Amino acid sequence: MSVRTWGVVGTGPNGRGIAQLVATKGLEVILVGQTDEDLAQARRQIELSLQHEIERWALTESEKRAILSRISMTTDMTEMAKADFVVTARIGDIKEDQELLRTLDQICRGEVILASNTSTLSITEMASATNRPDRVIGCHFLQPIPRTKVVQVVRGLKTSDETVAEVMALVERLDRTGVEVYESPGYITTRLIIPLINEACQLLLEGVASAEDIDTAMRLGFEMPRGPLEIADRIGLDTVLVMAERLWREYGDMKYRPAPNLKKLVRAGHLGVETGEGFFKYDADGDRIKNGGTGR
Amino acid sequence: MKILVLNCGSSSIKYQLLDMETESVLAIGKVERVGMEDAIFEYKGSGEKIKEIGTILDHTAGVRKVLKALTDPEHGVIKDPEEISAVGHRVVHGGEAFVRSVIIDEQVKRTLRELFDLAPLHNPANLTGILAAEAALPHAPGVAVFDTAFHATMPRKAFLYALPYVMYKRHKVRRYGFHGTSHKYVSLRAAALLGKAPEEVNLITCHLGNGSSVAAVEGGKSVDTSMGFTPLAGLIMGTRAGDLDPGVIPYIMAREEIGISEVNSMLNKHSGMLGISGISSDMRQIEEEMEKGDPRAIETFEMMEYRLRKYIGAYAAALGRVDGIVFTGGIGENSPLLRRAVCQNLAYLGVTFDEEANKVRGKEQIISGPDSKVAVMVIPTNEELMIARETAELVAAR
Repeated sequence: MSVRTWGVVGTGPNGRGIAQLVATKGLEVILVGQTDEDLAQARRQIELSLQHEIERWALTESEKRAILSRISMTTDMTEMAKADFVVTARIGDIKEDQELLRTLDQICRGEVILASNTSTLSITEMASATNRPDRVIGCHFLQPIPRTKVVQVVRGLKTSDETVAEVMALVERLDRTGVEVYESPGYITTRLIIPLINEACQLLLEGVASAEDIDTAMRLGFEMPRGPLEIADRIGLDTVLVMAERLWREYGDMKYRPAPNLKKLVRAGHLGVETGEGFFKYDADGDRIKNGGTGR
Repeated sequence: MKILVLNCGSSSIKYQLLDMETESVLAIGKVERVGMEDAIFEYKGSGEKIKEIGTILDHTAGVRKVLKALTDPEHGVIKDPEEISAVGHRVVHGGEAFVRSVIIDEQVKRTLRELFDLAPLHNPANLTGILAAEAALPHAPGVAVFDTAFHATMPRKAFLYALPYVMYKRHKVRRYGFHGTSHKYVSLRAAALLGKAPEEVNLITCHLGNGSSVAAVEGGKSVDTSMGFTPLAGLIMGTRAGDLDPGVIPYIMAREEIGISEVNSMLNKHSGMLGISGISSDMRQIEEEMEKGDPRAIETFEMMEYRLRKYIGAYAAALGRVDGIVFTGGIGENSPLLRRAVCQNLAYLGVTFDEEANKVRGKEQIISGPDSKVAVMVIPTNEELMIARETAELVAAR
């Protein structure tokens, strides 16, 4: 079956990012949001993000118009009946996601694969809410989704080989590389980046080095485009905290216990790029303000 | 003999049906947004132009739709698809494997797949078109006509780059050139206009459209051309930069903090006439703004003319003797202003200029004066006819 139309549920950064990526690659998208305001906000954000791509010379005005014309928006979940593949990107707990999957199971055609963008919830548990557990899969895009080249394709216990192969092909159609992972909280990327960020916070807390120097050492020392603290700012410190707590709860290992200074920043509302300040300061375009380290 | 000519993009099909007895166009049209539920189908046959919007899910469905229109009792031009003797396909990149047009067989298709890396945007779409035509017209042989083939006669000194030789051996990095079908067509027409055999004349052919290239044609054979490994080299084009110092690219990437795909997009889509003028990639609009005295439009025009004139000078030096200069393509055929600006500066070649004749748009015309040492000509290109001719020739000789 060839997939021409993607259904995307959720208008947060992940839902928007997936919609933008898919439409940029020439496919049609139906984006489902909870309210008209959410959808209007999502459209503004996608426009802004595309405008940013034009400023980086990656797109032209006419390409931007064509991309936007491929994204249709609705609050009506039954529109998902038109989709050839559905990915959910709503932030919620397992109960809410199960409910969403149950609804989609009733709306979508039998052969349609239902995917979730979750990085910590169980695909197997979600799949159990549907009559097609073999056609339920995890499809985890990393932020910033329009640019990141890897997608973690997650097998639940009942996900069929055929489903995995089809999703791998879909990912390739988006010029992304898929890596196959078995269900396990945090998969590869979250499980490795959270302890790194957390340990960087610890270093900072102990006064071993400044935020700037921690990031510089890691950037230059390991050829990373960004250091761990800037990565944390870009993910969003609130998200980092939630992920660390989930991993801590799941594995019970102290290495995941969030550092106190991370918690402190989140309580103060310094969430990183989104609020303009986290470990470092950022302008409205999300660019680092040089020498703007807060020194926390 | 009736030949169907197809030019397939990733989501488009441009087509013409030609009757080769008279070399006339029986029907012409295009399909756009292939793969969508709101695909656009356009057809002009014996009657009024038809435009429909509907589902065309793939290229095969697109070609079938074309055949249905061609055989329609009302506006069709043939009774039966069997009347189509062969299908000529425009294929962008022939690499080093194809130096002339070929009848398509399994081996040709395999080789075409191997060439995908050289033209990742175009060749896969061209192959899709070939497979679609085979499915819809199983009786009709297909012929691939390559944009690069006419330039296969370039000598090594013209096509090699002064990079480590291993780049050529390992990755086939060399000058290929494009617009070959057009350069070939107009150079044959130019020889005919001059009343000579193609072998007897040396020509500089200027294909100036949204993409532009110049070729040095010696006795009917291309010996050099301005486009290179990709269609990005050479002249200033609508949105492409053409020649520049390769050292600029890593510098820009570092300063703008952008990657390979962004810098590629900058050079291909944000540069050229559009990039310099900030007005448009369309020559007509640049000329309009020039008339109003817009300094950036004037500068854009001057840069284009200067780059083109430098190439004509270089190819005059390469050829040693020039009998004719040809203007073709959308801009070449329709911009008397650019042709005059170029020709006024070619007195050293013995070019004189006929102001009155230069007013021509879109038809064959000699625009140099009777005493000119070099004939300057406007020749509308006809790539579809050239493809149809080569197709007919190969199929007849089979």
